[in-house]
Amino acid sequence: MAKIKERYDGLVIGAGIAGMQAALDLAGQGYEVLLVEREPSIGGIMVGLNKVFPTLDCSSCICTPRMAETAHHERITLLTYTEVQKVEPNGAGFKVTLLKKPRYVVEEDCIGCSKCELACAPIVPHEYDYGLGARRAIYIPHGNAIPQVAVLDPNYCVFDGNCAKVCPTDCIDFTQRPEELPVEVGAVIVTTGLRITPMDAKKEYGGTKYVNVMNPLAMERVQSSNGPYGRVLRPSDGKIPRSIAYVQCAGSRDKSIGVPYCSRVCCMYALKQAVMIKHGLHDTEITLYYMDIRAFGKGFEQFYRRAKAEGIRVVKAKVAKITEDANQDLILRVELIDEGGRVAEIRHDLVVLSQGLIPGWHAQGVIPVEEDEDGFFKIPQLAIRPVKTTQDGIFVAGVAAGPKDIPDAIVEAGAAAMEAAMYLERTRVKQAVAA
Amino acid sequence: MSEAKRNWREDLKVFRERMGGLTEEKKAYGKAQREIRKALQDALKAGPRTVPELARETNQPSHKVMWHLMAMKRYGELVEAGEAGDYVKYALKESER
Repeated sequence: MAKIKERYDGLVIGAGIAGMQAALDLAGQGYEVLLVEREPSIGGIMVGLNKVFPTLDCSSCICTPRMAETAHHERITLLTYTEVQKVEPNGAGFKVTLLKKPRYVVEEDCIGCSKCELACAPIVPHEYDYGLGARRAIYIPHGNAIPQVAVLDPNYCVFDGNCAKVCPTDCIDFTQRPEELPVEVGAVIVTTGLRITPMDAKKEYGGTKYVNVMNPLAMERVQSSNGPYGRVLRPSDGKIPRSIAYVQCAGSRDKSIGVPYCSRVCCMYALKQAVMIKHGLHDTEITLYYMDIRAFGKGFEQFYRRAKAEGIRVVKAKVAKITEDANQDLILRVELIDEGGRVAEIRHDLVVLSQGLIPGWHAQGVIPVEEDEDGFFKIPQLAIRPVKTTQDGIFVAGVAAGPKDIPDAIVEAGAAAMEAAMYLERTRVKQAVAA
Repeated sequence: MSEAKRNWREDLKVFRERMGGLTEEKKAYGKAQREIRKALQDALKAGPRTVPELARETNQPSHKVMWHLMAMKRYGELVEAGEAGDYVKYALKESER
């Protein structure tokens, strides 16, 4: 573990793309930054995506250099597998309590060789692949993980000691315990990102009942060359899907599931996934059932037109219900708006529910800031100071502030770093005057 | 690297105790995994198979067969061996046969 100082200028909570950018932009101005991540690796959601829209750049290829830059920055101290327990105002700054979770591996000694993982017996659904792939009880988080350090999951450990037997650096440490770390910081930037709406939010879509109804992040992994299958197959039986449906607004713009807002990214990620599948499986028919296509960003409308030109079917329809037949194919009961509301039942091999974005973490009881009704951070001066929370000295960027795509999250992260720097500077001047 | 050699065997005993030992649930999970893995390996010794073929031969749900095959593939026990219609055929790696 990196040596922790007593005081940092800035604390950044969450090391996804927004958090890494905020940390880099603050450290780049000369400030000392502590970057805390609850998962065993930095990189957040972005490092697990296949491509980004609308450019179709390889997501991990553009995310990993940013991860390396963050991890190696001389003014950024990185704490992974660590949660923030409390942030309390303390004069001009904040008193922070962190909880470092035990990896049962000595971070500075592990060389990421995977020998422990290969020697470990239990095979476990891998969270990084949304359960579609496998890991062992002790494992390197994933191929692009930073740090490349193993983590032991005691829930599956069978205590055979095989990992310790084969470890060439003697770094398996069964004595580790959760460790509380107190630290003082001058300003805080919250970049805690997103989760997608739960797959059982709309029971009528069978998201947790039918294996071939997939969540969009799992589909990103399936499409990735380093994903669980290495190619696009359906999970129920490994069939190469010849007919795929995307159900738009499956987890957004729906008061009945408590997500009344538009998640802003689902139209584009669905079109992007559809195009990528089509590039690999030319004969596969892909249909998007949508309420409205919202292609509002730079290059989005052109991408939408390109997707249609490449043969993606976009059908204005409301999907009422999904059921499964004996072959585990899925039957979508849909109301076809452009056909006068005709109701049809249409069969597909695989369905992706275009789930929406909800907050990845809630601040209540931990950080003294207010949230909006939808759970995202409250921004009192949204029009003119869009990264300032209800607490002086605490700033927010990325999806923690509201649904947005990667470029917008990066822009906000830069703005939050600038606001934090100005806050630190004002504090310094005030203290100098008082002295 | 840490100076003194770790006494991990003693540490493991304490860790095992602290984590509630090897529960019946964990034993059952491991046994079920070994059985399905063995059945798949045996079936694949006869030659490359698709997921539905293996599900029929081993009398296991096809999604479970799929998951275990992908785990075997990830850890280098399995390779793709062509396609049969809409399905991929999988074969044991030569060293595993």
